Amino acid sequence: MADAIKVTVLLFAALKDLVGAERVTVDVPPQTPVGAIWSYVPTLSDTPPPNALRYAVNHEWADPELPTRNGDEVAFVLPVSGG
Amino acid sequence: MIVIQEGPIDVAALIAHVQGPDHGGLTLFLGSTRDTEAGAEVLGLEYEGYLELAVSETARICAETVSRFGARVAVGHRLGYVPAGEPSVAVAASTAHRSESFAACRYAIDEIKVRVPIWKRVIRADGQQVWGIPGSRA
Repeated sequence: MADAIKVTVLLFAALKDLVGAERVTVDVPPQTPVGAIWSYVPTLSDTPPPNALRYAVNHEWADPELPTRNGDEVAFVLPVSGG
Repeated sequence: MIVIQEGPIDVAALIAHVQGPDHGGLTLFLGSTRDTEAGAEVLGLEYEGYLELAVSETARICAETVSRFGARVAVGHRLGYVPAGEPSVAVAASTAHRSESFAACRYAIDEIKVRVPIWKRVIRADGQQVWGIPGSRA
């Protein structure tokens, strides 16, 4: 991927345990939608994302269709269980 | 006032933040970890948050509570390990009159539970560690 961009993925809770890291950086084609980043993350790419998964880009909620840019931080947010 | 951090919640500070002579009603909710879950002994809960988004989402919920109920609101949420029996989340809401303060506090805690990106891992006495299930009544 000569024109690939770098996107950092933030992982929490069960996803962090699954991947074994709290952040990973992946090379993806420019404009890759947020919702498609999952398939580039080692371990996660083996299975489709959970239906209830939400996304954030640079610490703000984002639609899955939002195109990513070089240097973006994408977070995968599982349904929450705080309180 | 929003405090999301490790260590015990300063409940008195939350109350002081929302108190005032114009607000005659104040409701305080404290959510504490239980010592049993599904029949298993629980030592405590480990909370992990996406801090930046947890703070901004809590701020949105507080702003909604202010505009819906005319309330002042303060929220504290612990991160890290919380031993069973200790508060892990606190909401203080004050309004001019009693009934609105109950409603405001209830609105804030209910929204926090489903919207703020904080997850909990149950640490059981038998050594098992399981992530909390969303939508549970915990």
